[in-house]
Amino acid sequence: MLNLWMRTSALISLIVVVLMLGFLLQQSWPYWQHDGLSPLLSGDWYPYEHLFGLAAAIIGSFWAALIALAIAIPTGLAAAVMSTEILSGPWRSLMRSGMELLAGIPSVVYGLLGLWILLPFLQSNLHLLTGHNLLAAGLLLSIMVLPTIMVMTQDALCEVSIHQRDTAASLGMGWSTRLWRVLLPQAWPGIRSGILLALGRALGETMAVMLVVGSMDRIPDPWYNLLAPAQTLTSRIGREIGESAFGSMHFSALMACGLLLALITITISMLAHIRTDKVKT
Amino acid sequence: MNTKNNKIAAIPAEVPQQVAAHNAGDISLHASKLSLALEGKNILRNISFSLPAQGINILIGPSGAGKSTLLRCLNLLHTDWCGELRIMGHHARCWPEGEDGLRRTIGLIAQKPTLFPCSIQQNIVFGLSRTERNHMPENRIEKVLKQAALWDEVKNRLHDQAATLSVGQQQRLCIARALMLSPKMLLLDEPTASLDPRSRQFIEASLLELAQNMPVLCVTHDIEQAKRLGGQIIFMCEGRLIESGDSKSFFKHPNRIESREFLQWSVCDCS
Repeated sequence: MLNLWMRTSALISLIVVVLMLGFLLQQSWPYWQHDGLSPLLSGDWYPYEHLFGLAAAIIGSFWAALIALAIAIPTGLAAAVMSTEILSGPWRSLMRSGMELLAGIPSVVYGLLGLWILLPFLQSNLHLLTGHNLLAAGLLLSIMVLPTIMVMTQDALCEVSIHQRDTAASLGMGWSTRLWRVLLPQAWPGIRSGILLALGRALGETMAVMLVVGSMDRIPDPWYNLLAPAQTLTSRIGREIGESAFGSMHFSALMACGLLLALITITISMLAHIRTDKVKT
Repeated sequence: MNTKNNKIAAIPAEVPQQVAAHNAGDISLHASKLSLALEGKNILRNISFSLPAQGINILIGPSGAGKSTLLRCLNLLHTDWCGELRIMGHHARCWPEGEDGLRRTIGLIAQKPTLFPCSIQQNIVFGLSRTERNHMPENRIEKVLKQAALWDEVKNRLHDQAATLSVGQQQRLCIARALMLSPKMLLLDEPTASLDPRSRQFIEASLLELAQNMPVLCVTHDIEQAKRLGGQIIFMCEGRLIESGDSKSFFKHPNRIESREFLQWSVCDCS
């Protein structure tokens, strides 16, 4: 009975995902039909001139996610190693609870904190005209995805068997050698899943990013300028969907952004699940 | 118990000075009043014994006697014991190369063969540092595999995954991995538990050979295996060292009632 219920639930989830993708494809179809795949390479987004290039938002999304991961991966790994391997029981639980609390805070709260604290900080310390930029989005996202990486890494490290730990210790390996040669390689599949899930969240986050990224529809110039206001796929949808008329090309282009985002995050989630399943096996 | 004739002496807690009967140069390990409590429970109680510089020593006793815990204390995997532990004349806690150095000197082979997910060859050299691996003699792997009686079976498949070996072969691979560090002493925790008779025979033969050059302390609760391996017997029950001595005399004329009980019923009541 339970098995049947689980299968039905899985099937319903699958149908919902397919329907969702189908809906996005149908709504964005006029856009793809009109311009083909060329907007993927164009950075020009001027709705009133019927220019709907997606490149700026795609690049913005990936930059913000990249900054977030560059900060969150080492921090999350270090926090997980410290909590599982160094801290004693109560401190470990406290740290995990803290991370879980961090994960539970609504993203709009992060966005508001970013507006009040992060943007003025960046503006004054980096002498910028505005603190709204990709760096701010990346920094904010790094705090938001940190719990995912930390908790998944912690779980993966806990799954390394006591036998392997003892064997490594009895071979005279010091703590750091055990960490690099036994614990992290053994936990790597779980860590990788955590990183992929965090990447999915970083790419898909809307509200917090929208409040701090600056929403400037152009490719950063030069391309590595992270201190310039920019745009991401999610912030573009969040900001403009209310202004677009249903059925218009603008609406269709925003749906195309949604379709791209859905495809990217679904692919990442699937990769993460494949890795997790392999670890369990 | 005739301590003069026995290389191993079970030393009652109240007379630790009997250790002096041994020539210090012949003793590779000396434990005195070793006690350990875990979660409020006394696991080891005033264990005192010595191991000679070579030969096989069997640590025997019923399940829950504290045999495996004692091995972990000797290897410093448990460090919160009290008492005195001297290894090759040094205090274990003040070992010149630190705890990790001591663990390299005392090879510990667990009951369950634990291999790392890599090739047979990589498993053998797993305990070595990169520098040690680079400067290792070419025939070193062959030598340790021969010592562990595994060379003939794996010489053509050193790059295969270690997990493809049988459990008996995996256990011998663990012995080879420990030998790779050139230990001065070998501790084995029921190395043949759940192995088939052939694998057991291989491991017992290699242990007897290794014991000619170094002290080997092997935990077992299999009385027949203890008889086969011979050497010296240390009998433990409920965290206490009950009796020790030469294997022939122990099995023929056990001194203590607990020992007789164990030999007859494989259980004993020491409480």
